[in-house]
Amino acid sequence: MPLTLCPIGEENIIKRIGGKEEIRHHLENLGFVAGGIVKIISASNGNIIVNIKESRVAVSKEMASKIMV
Amino acid sequence: MSVTIALAGNPNSGKTTLFNALTGSNQFVGNWPGVTVEKKEGRLKFRKDVRIADLPGIYSLSPYTLEEVVARNYLINEKPDAILNIVDGSNLERNLYLTTQLAELGIPVVVAVNMMDIVEKTGDKIDIGVLSQRLGCKVVKISALKGTGIKEAADEAIKAAEKGSFTPVHSFSGEVEHAIAHIEDLLKDKVKKEQERWFAIKVFEGDKKVMEALSLDPSAEKEIKKIVSEAETEFDDDCESIITNERYVYIASVLRGAYKKADRGSLTVSDKIDKIVTNRILALPIFAVIMFIVYYISVTTVGTIATDWANDGVFGDGWYLLGIGRAAYEEAVEEYDAAQDRTEAFIAAAEEAGIDTEELVETLQSEEPDSGIIDEFLLQAADAGVEAETDSEGDVLVVDSDAFAQAVDAAEPENGDFGIWIPGVPVIVGAFLEKINCAEWLSGLILDGIIGGVGAVLGFVPQMLILFMFLAFLEACGYMARVAFIMDRIFRKFGLSGKSFIPMLIGTGCGVPGIMASRTIESDRDRKMTIMTTTFIPCGAKLPIIALISGALFGGAWWVAPSAYFVGVVAIIISGIILKKTALFAGDPAPFVMELPAYHMPTLGNVLRSMWERGWSFIKKAGTIILLATILVWFLSGYGFGDNGFGAVSMDQSLLAAIGNCIAFIFRPLGFGDWKAAVACVTGLIAKENVVGTFGVLFRPELAEVAEDGMEIWTNLSANFARTGGNAAIAGYAYLVFNLLCAPCFAAIGAIKREMNSPKWTLFAIGYQCVFAYFAGLVIFQIASAVVGNVSIPGLIASFLIIIFALYLLFRPAVTEAKEKRVNSAA
Repeated sequence: MPLTLCPIGEENIIKRIGGKEEIRHHLENLGFVAGGIVKIISASNGNIIVNIKESRVAVSKEMASKIMV
Repeated sequence: MSVTIALAGNPNSGKTTLFNALTGSNQFVGNWPGVTVEKKEGRLKFRKDVRIADLPGIYSLSPYTLEEVVARNYLINEKPDAILNIVDGSNLERNLYLTTQLAELGIPVVVAVNMMDIVEKTGDKIDIGVLSQRLGCKVVKISALKGTGIKEAADEAIKAAEKGSFTPVHSFSGEVEHAIAHIEDLLKDKVKKEQERWFAIKVFEGDKKVMEALSLDPSAEKEIKKIVSEAETEFDDDCESIITNERYVYIASVLRGAYKKADRGSLTVSDKIDKIVTNRILALPIFAVIMFIVYYISVTTVGTIATDWANDGVFGDGWYLLGIGRAAYEEAVEEYDAAQDRTEAFIAAAEEAGIDTEELVETLQSEEPDSGIIDEFLLQAADAGVEAETDSEGDVLVVDSDAFAQAVDAAEPENGDFGIWIPGVPVIVGAFLEKINCAEWLSGLILDGIIGGVGAVLGFVPQMLILFMFLAFLEACGYMARVAFIMDRIFRKFGLSGKSFIPMLIGTGCGVPGIMASRTIESDRDRKMTIMTTTFIPCGAKLPIIALISGALFGGAWWVAPSAYFVGVVAIIISGIILKKTALFAGDPAPFVMELPAYHMPTLGNVLRSMWERGWSFIKKAGTIILLATILVWFLSGYGFGDNGFGAVSMDQSLLAAIGNCIAFIFRPLGFGDWKAAVACVTGLIAKENVVGTFGVLFRPELAEVAEDGMEIWTNLSANFARTGGNAAIAGYAYLVFNLLCAPCFAAIGAIKREMNSPKWTLFAIGYQCVFAYFAGLVIFQIASAVVGNVSIPGLIASFLIIIFALYLLFRPAVTEAKEKRVNSAA
């Protein structure tokens, strides 16, 4: 399911990342890779803040809905 | 041998802090990704022959943002002798991702694991021996903030640089290595031996910029395509993701056994703060409150006190040290004024009683009144039984001859009697010039031109310093990145990304760094739009204009300053919507992805340093450009072709009036078609605070009336706006709006030109701003004038046409990306 639907505070494993190639690679550089563990810290209107590889990253709704866990 | 060491690492890993520690320089350290947008160079403190280059923070060497391009181009083209890779010890895995890429460049790498103090506090264990062996390069532990280990890190980097040659030890899985080796073969005669691997990997990833630079022959290109597509089918993934995954797999293997993470609680402090400040409901109110506090304090309360002190005290009559004595002085002045009232009333009454008072008045006005005359007068008055009444605030006081005698003796209070009185600069300089018998024109230049103009500008330094201090705090504590996240929701509606908000917030201090900060925005379209709209927000230099208009024309009403920011924000929103609907900016803003740094309390030194640096550049500007500009304005406004040929003339005959009158008609529809206001608009291009400096010279009190307070300038200014616009407040506000929104100062225009990197775009941006400002000023002036009863039919027609045009631009259907493509392909 897309990351936007995950409950706050739960750890999830990334299965796949969709979206435009350019942005997908930027996400990969930031640590969003298949198999990585991601945890939602806070959410507001679909925009989320997650923990990934020990750093905190803010991701907008459109992008988060393309990260499948 | 001279050695160059480049500092590279992820955003917020502490590069600038380390740079400051190594070079002893004073760069501001912010806590949001993108503080350093340009490479900075310095020399190593303890070895002057070693140059240190601080690069912008990057996550990888693939060019996603402009900063990544800057850093990557430097590393590949200028080839520093060594790279000191700063790695955030509390976030090893992600940070080492960049390390694996740096190691491929063929440049010796030394890894400095930073923030060791925090790592040790949380209880994590990093075995640098194992790490060093597995990464194939020296690893040192440092804490840039505390200054531990930095000398060792620099020494290791120098050693590595002197040793030269470097080959990466890491390897990917067999299939990928096979493909890379194959590509390396094809590139052999194109690139240097030590850069072979990096280029091969980039070619494998299909990096467009590298492919262009290599310009391979078609047969090699075909071969490469085949290799890549083979690998892609084998991994069932695209080429770039294959490499990314390989890197993370490799990092995991490096860290196994070398890094032990302590068990932490489920939520860190930063997480807890984020839960509140980025909360769905609370985020915006919290942000609004923070911004209100910042501007309320720096503009309205403390700022005004400080500015009043600077304007009326330092650049006015003078001031009391620490304010001690002011209250006593004011009381004494009141008493003295009351005594004056009493003597006047008594004299008037005596005159009525038929006593000749001419001689008495004369002697009272002289320096040393003749007591004989006074006594005689008193006798006469007593004989006639003269009595007068004074009325102060309802208290009726009967003045008889005894009271009169007392009142006459009352001495005018002297400033120096009530505390430590420090005279203002004009007073000191004026007295000095009189003493040395300075020529009149020169003392005019110094007092009216220089002190009047530059003083008017310098008076706002305290206010600006307070604003700069708040901004530095916001930047350094980590809230800035959150603001971008919070504002993304709203900005997206106007076609801008949340990242556009950071440049605008920085722009409230100064537009130049604001425009530079736009580099963190990935999409070129979003970036151009941000650059065009950032300077709509009132910058620090526009504060004096706001303060002047609000003080002179609105009696210091509280709402004028906030309304200026409101106008700026509305201008950005309208521009965002309008521009987004044109073919130039069509398409959605790039999705928001941004790392949020951990919160930390900024160090006092860092905040003060940033405040001082920005404030100092402002003061320097006042001492150089603005000084020259005010001298020029003073000269042009005092000299011209009068009745006796060229020479000193009254201001209305001056050269400046002649020039100003040529352009003044342009501003007539905006309510300030007068040469003085028009000239100030133009001098404002040199620096916005120059508007105030120019007014300071042009509206200086006429020499005959020698008014002592700055109020005289306000009155003159107000009278001038009333003359040109019918209503001083409305014309003044239109003037304010026009100056806030029109083309920024030359420094900011220069920054726009650099960032746009195209004369066409720069012209477009400046033109757009000017037209927008003109229309906004016109509509405000004409409509508001009509409301108060000064209807101008052509003006109203023009306003309505502009409004209809604006509404059309706002609500017409957007040019979609698909449509745009069709247009392009048809053309």
